[in-house]
Amino acid sequence: MGNNNLSNQIRRLRFENDQMTQQELADKAGVTRQTIIAIESGKYAPSLPLAFKIAQTFGISIEDVFQYENEQS
Amino acid sequence: MNRVQKIALFFVVTISVAFLLSCIAIGILYVKVGMPKALAGLGFMGIAGLGGFSALIFQTEKGKVTLDERDRLINRRAALAGFGTSYLLVGLACMIPFFILGPKASISVSWLPYIFGGVGLNMFFVHSVAILIQYGRSDKGEKV
Repeated sequence: MGNNNLSNQIRRLRFENDQMTQQELADKAGVTRQTIIAIESGKYAPSLPLAFKIAQTFGISIEDVFQYENEQS
Repeated sequence: MNRVQKIALFFVVTISVAFLLSCIAIGILYVKVGMPKALAGLGFMGIAGLGGFSALIFQTEKGKVTLDERDRLINRRAALAGFGTSYLLVGLACMIPFFILGPKASISVSWLPYIFGGVGLNMFFVHSVAILIQYGRSDKGEKV
């Protein structure tokens, strides 16, 4: 379910946004807290709609939340 | 541990207990009265039916997200594992007698309900175990 090439800044962004808890982010994104934990730790790669939802929650673009590292580069 | 995990664990426990008690009962009855009366021990498999009450025991919390895309993905993969192993079991149940008894032999149709029941229970068991494995310990210490 995870993707080694995909990294994210969710943890940092949560703390920069008034120390938002995982539960608060989960409620805003419409998922469970477990899913936020799994995404944060890189164990689960979210769907594109969910990735957009998370980015919208922080009010930034999706590229600022998720980064994809190409193995060839 | 979320609701899906609790239900899966409940299924694993009930099916395991039912299977274990059935094996013990059949073993004891086989020594006492022999076959086919010993098959009455299979009555303990009825305990597995308690798993059907899991949805009532572990109810959803209102107004809270309890199932999202990750849970659905885990459930889909677990279902695939359950049906996959069941297909394998049906295949074995068909081919093993064929190879052991030969192409001209015949078996009683009374075996068919046993195969059907066994495969069904296997499906639920593997499905539940696959759910528990996929969630793993990633949610360690979490109360969702």
